[in-house]
Amino acid sequence: MKDKYIVSSAPHVHDKTTIPMVMWNVVIALIPALVFAVYYWGLRALVLTLLGAISAVVTEAAIQKLRKVPVSVSDGSAFLTGLLLAYNIHAGAPLWLPIAGSVFAIAIGKQVFGGLGTNPVNPALLGRAFLLASWPTLMTAGWVKPRTGTLSGISNVDDIALNLQSVSPKAYELVTGATPLKVVQSLRDSSFVASINSSATEGVDIANRIFTNITEMNSLKNLFWGNIGGCIGEVSAFALLLGAAYLLYKNIIEWRIPLFYVGTVFVLSFLFGPIKGSGYSMMLPFFHIFSGGLMLGAFFMATDYTTTPLTKNGRIVFAIGCGLLTMVIRLVGGYPEGVSYSILFMNVMTPLIDKFTVPKAFGRIKK
Amino acid sequence: MSFVKELSKGIIKENPIFVIVLGMCPTLAVTSSVQNGIGMGLAATFVLICSNIIISLIKNITPEKIRIPIYITVIAAFVSIVDMAMAAYVPGLHKSLGLFIPLIVVNCIILGRAEAFASKNNMLASLADGIGMGLGFTLSLVVVAAIREILGAGTFAGIAVMPKTYEPMLVAILAPGAFITLGFLMALMNMMKEKK
Amino acid sequence: MKYYIKLSLILLIFCAVASGILAYVNSLTEPVIKDRKAKEEVATRSELIPDADFMEGKMADGTAYFVATSKATGDTLGYTFIAAKTGYSSKVQTMVGVDKNMTVLKIKVIDQAETPGLGANCTQDWFLKQFENRQATDLVVDKDGGTVKSMAGATITTRCIATSIAEQIAMLKVAIGGAE
Repeated sequence: MKDKYIVSSAPHVHDKTTIPMVMWNVVIALIPALVFAVYYWGLRALVLTLLGAISAVVTEAAIQKLRKVPVSVSDGSAFLTGLLLAYNIHAGAPLWLPIAGSVFAIAIGKQVFGGLGTNPVNPALLGRAFLLASWPTLMTAGWVKPRTGTLSGISNVDDIALNLQSVSPKAYELVTGATPLKVVQSLRDSSFVASINSSATEGVDIANRIFTNITEMNSLKNLFWGNIGGCIGEVSAFALLLGAAYLLYKNIIEWRIPLFYVGTVFVLSFLFGPIKGSGYSMMLPFFHIFSGGLMLGAFFMATDYTTTPLTKNGRIVFAIGCGLLTMVIRLVGGYPEGVSYSILFMNVMTPLIDKFTVPKAFGRIKK
Repeated sequence: MSFVKELSKGIIKENPIFVIVLGMCPTLAVTSSVQNGIGMGLAATFVLICSNIIISLIKNITPEKIRIPIYITVIAAFVSIVDMAMAAYVPGLHKSLGLFIPLIVVNCIILGRAEAFASKNNMLASLADGIGMGLGFTLSLVVVAAIREILGAGTFAGIAVMPKTYEPMLVAILAPGAFITLGFLMALMNMMKEKK
Repeated sequence: MKYYIKLSLILLIFCAVASGILAYVNSLTEPVIKDRKAKEEVATRSELIPDADFMEGKMADGTAYFVATSKATGDTLGYTFIAAKTGYSSKVQTMVGVDKNMTVLKIKVIDQAETPGLGANCTQDWFLKQFENRQATDLVVDKDGGTVKSMAGATITTRCIATSIAEQIAMLKVAIGGAE
């Protein structure tokens, strides 16, 4: 290194924090989610996760060898990227899917730009976007049912309508065969609701009953513990919050981004979440913050050091932007879930946000 | 006169896409299949050769002040001819290249060669330059298209080349795939150049 | 001033020559293009309903349909028309042949620019075949509770084709109902 002597002005504060310490601590914080995933979906979840993490490490080492720079895989950053990427895949996916995603995430999301600290967007999310664009059917079909519950988290389907299977096979298929956010997205689609039942009012009625049921306490409990269909890492809001608490306690992540991100989603889903015919409900915001990848995204991905703004105000802008985009995609977009795309989009906006939120230097007079 | 030198420089040394980086719009847009790449490349090559010849012939009677409008007129005339001829005799290809045929008019390679080469050199050299640049352009399009088509559809020029179990990597034939493929090929060219 | 007039004149001459050449090429290719287009349509029509003569008619919104009569007996065999609707990223045009009872005989996608690998698969045989022998009421995609199997990752394109045909059949019913 030629920059051996760092010349900068005082004060010089030294901190014991190192990159490996941060990275491996985040990995530790992500373990509870994996434990829950293995409990609900079996060992395949573990195998997929390990494949993702190991292939990320191998890719990073290989490319660093090629680039003739020191191999730095022991810092854990590649392992973490691979782990996060595998967390974005559901347990029914083919075994090569996390490998393909990890290779892309590390090679094109990170090393092409120069490695750790120079990537413009979160590599794990870029890997996920790549997988979703390349193999949309493998990524969004074939969800695995959790060991004890249903895909949609609705505990008793017959509560919705007696003999739902014969009243409306289509609605029955939806509540037994789709993930919670997909159910809600379908219920917001007027052409779907119109096709539930030959009688239009009956159809709207059934849709509303499903909607109320999926935001009820019992369904929310399933959502909170992870007794639903979903991606490996986003399964249990509880496990993720446990990990997040550890990171907050260790002072590794900062509270602003998760708080404003989740808060924005909470407020927006309360205001704009209800479907036609259903009133405002205090349960609905909880449904939206516990479902999908929000907890994983808000605590573990939107808090990445490299790709988020440096300033405190900038982080707040970043988080609100993420929340806004997430809700726009969930409520009006074509995908049921929008966490990954919204974070990617705000990653790209980060330099701009940083530019406009530079704090005033002490003693300087505003021009 | 180094006819051969002018001819060959367009293929590697002054490759219009990877080295001069001109004509990016068609390169990114039509390279989703090898057939499209060849069709676009040959159409642009035809226009390039014809316009190079005409422009080098008229260079002495072209007033300096209005040379660009005149070049564009010449190029646009040839593009329209190609457009009509393709619609008449190869309608399938014409349909899949669509809007990009009329857009050959604003393909930077053609105006670029007219301005940088044909307007300063004689007819023969301009002909060689046109052929070389056109072939370089076509070749580059085919390389980009081949990579994208094989990865994204599992076929080469419509013929299946990948094993049956291969799941096509769709992103390769979508827009991001074009940028990524182009980026890697350019990096490869630069790497080879630095090694020399 | 004189200089600029000279420049304008030179440019004018260039444009005039170019236009002249283009006009000539156009006169050569235009009939070929027209001929080919017409032939293509005729070919597609007779592929949908073989051994028939076609007679043009107009629907309420001005789009054309064709009445197919048997070359051998002169009986009405059915109708062909073009159903068009915006799919995911382009206007998908499908030529449809139906019999006298408005049951779909065969369909063919004649123009589309959907996502390659997903929606663009709508030109494949397995997909088009499933539309055969369906009434307008059966043209409902599986995602909406029907039996038309949608292409992987391209429900929107599938739905677009199915509903555009159903809508067009409804229009055709009005059109021939009014004529009789």
